[in-house]
Amino acid sequence: MANILKISKNAEEGLRELLRFLLEKKRVKAVFTLRKINENSAVSYSLITDSEMLKDALPLFPLMPQNAGKLLSRLTLKEHLLEPTAAVVRPCELRAFIELVKRKQGSLDNFIFISTTCPGTYPLELSTNGDIWKKLPEYEMCVKEGDIVPDIRPVCQACEHFIPYSADMTIALIGKKDVDKSCEIFLNTEKAEKLIEGMDGELSEGELETKEIKKLHSKRQEKKKELFKEINVESLGLSGLIETFGRCIGCHGCGRVCPICYCVLCDFDSRDYECEPSTYESELKKRGGMRVPPNTVLYQLGRLTHVSVSCVGCGMCTDVCPADIPISTIFLKVGEEVQNLFNYIPGKSVEEAIPLTKYEKEEFAEVED
Amino acid sequence: MKGARVAVKDSIEKTVLNILSKAIDKKLFDVILIPIMVPAGDSYAWVLAQDKSLLDSASSLPPIMSVQGAKALSSVTRMGKTNKKIAALMRPCEIRAVIELSKLSQIELDNIFLISMDCPGVLPLKDWLKDPTKGINSFRKVIQRFVDGDPEPDQSVRPVCTICHRFYDSSAVDLHIGILGKKGEYIFFIPHTTQAETIFAELGLSFKDDISHWQNGVDEVLKQRKKKRSLVQEELKPEVIGLDKLLDTFSNCINCHICQSVCPICYCRQCYFDSDKVKQPPDDYLMRAESKGNISLPPDKILFHLGRMSHMALSCVGCGACEDACPMSIKVAQIFSLIADRSQELFNYIPGESLEEPLPLRVFEEDELHEVETP
Repeated sequence: MANILKISKNAEEGLRELLRFLLEKKRVKAVFTLRKINENSAVSYSLITDSEMLKDALPLFPLMPQNAGKLLSRLTLKEHLLEPTAAVVRPCELRAFIELVKRKQGSLDNFIFISTTCPGTYPLELSTNGDIWKKLPEYEMCVKEGDIVPDIRPVCQACEHFIPYSADMTIALIGKKDVDKSCEIFLNTEKAEKLIEGMDGELSEGELETKEIKKLHSKRQEKKKELFKEINVESLGLSGLIETFGRCIGCHGCGRVCPICYCVLCDFDSRDYECEPSTYESELKKRGGMRVPPNTVLYQLGRLTHVSVSCVGCGMCTDVCPADIPISTIFLKVGEEVQNLFNYIPGKSVEEAIPLTKYEKEEFAEVED
Repeated sequence: MKGARVAVKDSIEKTVLNILSKAIDKKLFDVILIPIMVPAGDSYAWVLAQDKSLLDSASSLPPIMSVQGAKALSSVTRMGKTNKKIAALMRPCEIRAVIELSKLSQIELDNIFLISMDCPGVLPLKDWLKDPTKGINSFRKVIQRFVDGDPEPDQSVRPVCTICHRFYDSSAVDLHIGILGKKGEYIFFIPHTTQAETIFAELGLSFKDDISHWQNGVDEVLKQRKKKRSLVQEELKPEVIGLDKLLDTFSNCINCHICQSVCPICYCRQCYFDSDKVKQPPDDYLMRAESKGNISLPPDKILFHLGRMSHMALSCVGCGACEDACPMSIKVAQIFSLIADRSQELFNYIPGESLEEPLPLRVFEEDELHEVETP
């Protein structure tokens, strides 16, 4: 059982009211959320200190222009927050931030995390011509019905971790038939309960994990099986990898938008991977030809090695890929396999150390000689 | 200037490929740097081809530009000059970028032989990927329209290709293959250096033919392109003049910096705008947020674009790699080309036209730009 604050407004308006309350009552110094930034309805993450600006806030907008975990890391890289800030983020973005905190790339101090039972986000290309606004009615309908929203990112359709693990507050969306009339805010921590003291609304109790949520969970699991079957990573082998990543143009955009890829200068962009002419010449001698720039597949494998244990399957990589490679599907598949080896769910708990930083003597005996 | 008129057999691309293949046979070059179809058949990748059999799946005029050729060549000689004789067959804008990168010490041109061909443009990568087989066929039509001298540029190519006014040879190239002027029945091998003449003479080419048909063909297309370029840029100006307009136009930008990573001129391993210099403690962001009531994150989007512009605009060759790669379909190349044209004009500078001509920012003229002095 958990405490719920119910506001008699639609979910997004209710959340705006909560954010307004927190800012005006000076319970927080700033609010981090999605905001409409111009007349053409472009949407971006914003750090808001003036409650007036909240009228343009769109905290539940189904777009992820950048993984918020990366942005929160940028905010707290040099130093932790000195004053409370409420951040409205998706479950995967929160998990990514926690994975970054484990890597000393940010700090959780003074954050109040507000998340939702997440219905998913649309691919970026739908927002380039404003089509995303036309999808909102269908989005709301699927949220109410507890269905998988069509046309959202493939990894969203297959996402099992759509209930936030460590948010202070969770807005219940999935399966809520009255989401257009009522905003249900689950207060998961003492901090959350204190923050809303004095706010207009009905207090009640309830369970976040309803039967609609359980139903969607199984639907998403099915979808994931389908998605993984399409790519069939296990059967790729080197020739399959070459086929899949053959059209990769080496822009490294996937790494740039990935929240887990935090390196300021990626090894693969550094001097380490630039070849001397003698390297090319010896390759030419050995094989008669060489693709340039080199290391196309190596980059992907390298990134997989570094990122997979913490991949949260947000889907930013696929969205930005100029060559339409289903990177997030591959990374999610490999990521889950690696994570399962260690019974590790990235970002679930900040106390749980990243598997590669721990040494267990009694482990993986099956791969020993 | 004279050239060698060559009859086209099969297709322009095959004709050129055959000649290059013979060049490898006769060891006139050790290696050809040319786009070769990838195993999955859905793209082309730059390959240093020493083995002649690799040329079977090569294309001398591929439908797409997956990686800007100058970037590919830079990866080969950035660390030092090559000892192999490499013939690089690239688009005019790629050659120009090569020349600019050479001036920026990112390419060693020793032992590199540059070959270009008149360019009808390239298909946008995402359009091509929807159906590569269809793409190959539709690009054949693009080439045919181009060599037929159709005044209207094909709309299926990159937007900046439709307004390209440098689709012919840079003076800095070693050999240029003119495909305009004879409707695809003949092409012209036009040497710019004595080395080019000597090498290709070994293949039986004699550079005694009149190339005025080609020159006329180029002039015709150039006339139309210049008009179109002017028109498109005039239409674009109101979208980007003034900070408000600029903010609007880039409002969808997600600051992924992919435009910078695919740009051939942006050679910095670590961009200033990704460095520690732009990372501040939270109080800084908070203070900035307070001054206006909010701050977008990541911050300084326009600063990135203006910064990039001020660093590379003088060398921008208008290839369009940036716009092609932008996940938010922002007209990056068209906007940067607009500024590049104006800033290059200030110095009467044509990027990639001459190796001898230094980069404008490296040259100090005391008597210059009086119009911006304080009176």
